Amino acid sequence: MRAALRVFAAEGLKQHRRIFGSKLVVFSMLLWPVLTLATTYYTVLPVTEAPGAAERWPLVAQPGRLLAFLAAGALAYTFFFSLVQSAWHFSWERISGTLEAMFLTPASRMALVLANGSSALVQNAWLFGCFGLAAAVATGTLHLAHPGMLAVAALALLVPAVAWGAFLNSLLMFSRDSAFLYTLLDDPLWFIAGVRLPLFALPVWIKAIGLVFPLTTSLVVLRGALLDGKDVGDLAGHLTFLAVLSAVLLGATALLLRVGERHAQRTGSLQLF
Amino acid sequence: MIVTHELRKSFPAQRKLFRPAGPATDAVDGLSLSIPPGAVTGLLGLNGAGKTTTIKVLATLLRPTSGSVTVDGLDVVDHAREIRRRINLIAGGERMVYARLTGRENLWYFGQLYDVPRAVLGTRIDELLELVGLTDAAGTLVERYSRGMRQRLSIARGLINAPAYLLLDEPTLGLDAPIARDLRAVVANLARDGVGVLLTSHYLAEVEQLCGHVYVVDHGRLVAEGSPTALTAGTRLPHTVELTLAEHAPAVSAAVAALGAEFEVGVDTEERPTFLLRSPEDLAGELATAVVRAGGAIVRLEVNPPTLEDAILAMAGTPTSVAAR
Ligand SMILES: Nc1ncnc2c1ncn2[C@@H]1O[C@H](COP(=O)(O)OP(=O)(O)OP(=O)(O)O)[C@@H](O)[C@H]1O
Ligand SMILES: [Mg+2]
Repeated sequence: MRAALRVFAAEGLKQHRRIFGSKLVVFSMLLWPVLTLATTYYTVLPVTEAPGAAERWPLVAQPGRLLAFLAAGALAYTFFFSLVQSAWHFSWERISGTLEAMFLTPASRMALVLANGSSALVQNAWLFGCFGLAAAVATGTLHLAHPGMLAVAALALLVPAVAWGAFLNSLLMFSRDSAFLYTLLDDPLWFIAGVRLPLFALPVWIKAIGLVFPLTTSLVVLRGALLDGKDVGDLAGHLTFLAVLSAVLLGATALLLRVGERHAQRTGSLQLF
Repeated sequence: MIVTHELRKSFPAQRKLFRPAGPATDAVDGLSLSIPPGAVTGLLGLNGAGKTTTIKVLATLLRPTSGSVTVDGLDVVDHAREIRRRINLIAGGERMVYARLTGRENLWYFGQLYDVPRAVLGTRIDELLELVGLTDAAGTLVERYSRGMRQRLSIARGLINAPAYLLLDEPTLGLDAPIARDLRAVVANLARDGVGVLLTSHYLAEVEQLCGHVYVVDHGRLVAEGSPTALTAGTRLPHTVELTLAEHAPAVSAAVAALGAEFEVGVDTEERPTFLLRSPEDLAGELATAVVRAGGAIVRLEVNPPTLEDAILAMAGTPTSVAAR
């Protein structure tokens, strides 16, 4: 446990240098999410003016709340996507040779991928998180059942996100082809998880696929807790599902790491790129 | 002591869609060696002989296909984690460090991963930076380091866990001569302090200087072992003696021929006669005496004993045109 904490500290520093080492950091941490939010808002706006839209989606009658709905989507998306990015960088360590250096150490592989994901998450998303929260408070769209729901929302966002990040990292033990991360998980993720549109607007089969991504349910909880004043009782089903999904992802991660390291030891693939 | 017994490592052939996979590569093929603590053991061979593969198996990065490897009695497969604490690997070519971190941060990062006791980590980092001459550059981002500096940092990384066994895979690759010399001194000191070192290098002078015992491998198999001098003597490769005369003297050729060794006659760039003599023993003294007696005036005399390099090329059965470096 103590050793694992030291791995977290080490990864924290590494991620900090990686993320803040680039001058574009403010752009990617704040400007980019805000910009995508703005484009989303103005993309959705014409739809809301279609006749009858308000009956199916009451939010469209209230532009302020619609914006908050989309902002919550952008916030959660930023969190989850920062993990896709960190997995992408993790895969680059194969090329720089540091992946092999990591696997040379006795450090727990699980601790490594968890630390890698969570420190990327914390450092990448806190700024936009604070910004989003401040904006929600300032515009009066924050609607909490009780203050404790803020913590529930934060947990429902962070825990599945970290599990998801660790899972992505462990997938990369097998594949040298990390391009799939971006092609598969950028735009499709926006769509499938209901970042831009409410889930009821999506066909059933997409909804079903969307459930596999923890972002989808995280987002339902986040919107329910922060915008619709729902409490733990209202969200119990979703919260349970998230907990199970996170546990499954972590279990799969542990398994993939074991099998993946075996595979690498057999084929020497840690050094290949 | 690290002991490998009949170690075999074959890489599975790459699987191709709809086509049968090719044959597997036997990178290491039944290798038995031992690496005692407190000494530098050499592992030599031409490109592709299986040196890096062997080292990676010892470092737990690869798993043996068959055979056994034990480190202080612990099996590499069953006790990988414990073994990782006791060993470290330094490979040439400045990889294995983070460009976005400073030199000190790199060492701290790996110190954390090795769970080096907090009380010693700080001082150890300072000592290692000092050892590799990076104290002044400790706070500089590695992306600003020169290649040699990165390589030195990766040497310090390899020592961060104070390993009982150190595996060196061409550690002086890309280092300039003075720094390579310093590194050799460091390695010799580590061995004196009880560390067991395995060294592969294409700089054979380095191996001759450091290693008491050398294993020569070819195509994953052991072809010879012994001290560097024993290995060179064992192959009975010729010593060459090159002699240049001030001017042509007819009696000299006959005197040289009388020595009974194979020789060639030629002229150097200044049109002076030269003799190139090859023989299993060093004939320089006898040659010089014979030439002087025959009335020749010696301008230059050069003796080249066979090197370990020649010996390895001979043992690997490869034509000398394929140089080992
Ligand atoms: N990951 C791998 N997959 C398949 N074959 C491999 C792999 N790594 C090495 N080999 C093969 O194993 C053999 C031994 O390679 P190895 O790298 O151990 O040689 P080496 O003695 O270190 O050579 P060099 O002096 O060039 O460093 C080579 O034929 C090589 O092509
Ligand atoms: Mg090699």
